[in-house]
Amino acid sequence: MEDLDTNEVDDKKLAKLSIDELTRLFSENINQQTLKLIEGIEFLVDENFEKFMESMKYVIKTNTEVNIKKKFESKIFKSKLMFSKADRLKLFNKINDIKNIGEFLANKMLLYRIVFPDDTFKLQMLDILKSLKIISNEISEAVKLIGSDLSKAHVVCENIKEVRRSMRKKEWKLITRLYNYDMDYLSRTFLYLKELIETIMMLADHIKNFSEYIQFLATKYLIFD
Amino acid sequence: MAAELSSILVIVLIVMAISLAFSIGANDETLSALVGARVVKFKIALIIGGIAIGAGMISFSKGFVAKTVGADILGEGITYTYFMLLTVLVSSIIWLVVGSFAGIPLSSTHSLIGSVFGVLIVYALFQGDVNPETALNWTKLGNVVLSWFLSPLFGFLVTFILFKVIAKFYLSRLKGLNQIEKSERNFKWILLLAVIFAEIWVGANSGEALGILYGLFDKGSLNLTEYFFYAVICAIFAGIGIYVAARYVIKNLASQMIDTRPSEGIILQTSSAIILMIATIFGLPISHSHVIVFCILGLSVAQKKEVDYKSLGKMGIFWILTFPIAALLAGLIYSGFIYFGLP
Repeated sequence: MEDLDTNEVDDKKLAKLSIDELTRLFSENINQQTLKLIEGIEFLVDENFEKFMESMKYVIKTNTEVNIKKKFESKIFKSKLMFSKADRLKLFNKINDIKNIGEFLANKMLLYRIVFPDDTFKLQMLDILKSLKIISNEISEAVKLIGSDLSKAHVVCENIKEVRRSMRKKEWKLITRLYNYDMDYLSRTFLYLKELIETIMMLADHIKNFSEYIQFLATKYLIFD
Repeated sequence: MAAELSSILVIVLIVMAISLAFSIGANDETLSALVGARVVKFKIALIIGGIAIGAGMISFSKGFVAKTVGADILGEGITYTYFMLLTVLVSSIIWLVVGSFAGIPLSSTHSLIGSVFGVLIVYALFQGDVNPETALNWTKLGNVVLSWFLSPLFGFLVTFILFKVIAKFYLSRLKGLNQIEKSERNFKWILLLAVIFAEIWVGANSGEALGILYGLFDKGSLNLTEYFFYAVICAIFAGIGIYVAARYVIKNLASQMIDTRPSEGIILQTSSAIILMIATIFGLPISHSHVIVFCILGLSVAQKKEVDYKSLGKMGIFWILTFPIAALLAGLIYSGFIYFGLP
């Protein structure tokens, strides 16, 4: 597949792509948006609100991936291949769910301008975001590998699960810290930070479930002698 | 009066044989894999299947399974009477209908041979001059019964080996979904050939209908031309059975097979077709459903998938019971005919 600028893909180019190429393009596109979301939260941590707003707006902008999705759906509907059709569609929808959660988080984050409580909290948050960046890149890599090497995709997904496990520990550490601050549990800052952590973990959980689905596909389609 | 009754019975038997041929087609689900893989359009698949089953039936009508059922299984010097043939058909149909209502998958072949056995034993017991020991060709019957045990076993083995060989040298080398999809796309056309091959042998081994006609031919009630004429009619009706009635079961099974890889379908159909082919060449009527169930079992074991041994055991009990129950039922019905002076 030629390198396509995922933001400027016209209809004619999309029409020429195969189901697998569309899936990969869609996955790359969503990964870029997730990375932008992570970058935006990092700007928020740095209290660079202008850049933060810019990143969130980018995430919410949906034109290109909607076009890819439409093209994919029309292609898969007409596809004559039966035995992997349902799995291809499910795979695509799981990528789309990453976008939905990311968009949900971006919208939520724009509701209120927050300042993080202290530097330790900021560092712990950046640590979680670093892990999220890793699994976001790896899930995109695993999607790319589905078409060419399911065994490798399986290995990549195993790593995602490992990173996600370590994220859970970091999450509890952060939540514990949050609950021990001297602030009202009804305060906007508390609620905002609590929901921010929970939604980041929701995204990580989805990526983990997605990686398990890719492992299921590898188990289903690979035949060993 | 007796001549009129004979003519009526011959017509009744021919009509029943044709109906049986129709039901053979109507119960055939060989095309499911083909329809599930969407190789050709549904109606085209039904037409191809109908032609193949009919072609198989007519190509092997001169002897083979039809001759075994219609003549060879009988003892020397014994031919069917009309009421014997009627009993065989009625008893088989009753047991199969009971099985269908009870939701038990039964073999029409086992049912038919069991009925033949029951009828001949009762015939020998009631006819003073016939020794029950010579009423049947025990060697032939023994071979037929043996083939019922061996055919599923060989179906299992052939499928297992075929899968292992194809997996080792080809399927295990496919790494990505794109490669697998491309390969399976090509397999679809081989699946079409495998299904046609299997359907031909399903028709060739379906000796129930032609066996009855062969019995009438052996008895002298039909000459060779008439036998072939009705055999062609049976073949056409088997094809119509697929087109008119089997479409529902095929559609239903096909919708459950969307996830099945064409390569798996090829292995299953080829294995079962090989077993049916060998059995037909040896003139042994075997159960297609038993063979295919064991082929599926062979594939599952080769793929290290879970096997429902409980259901299999339950099925096995009914398979074993079919022969004695059909024999008993046929014996009872035929005793009734004899009681009313209709041997």
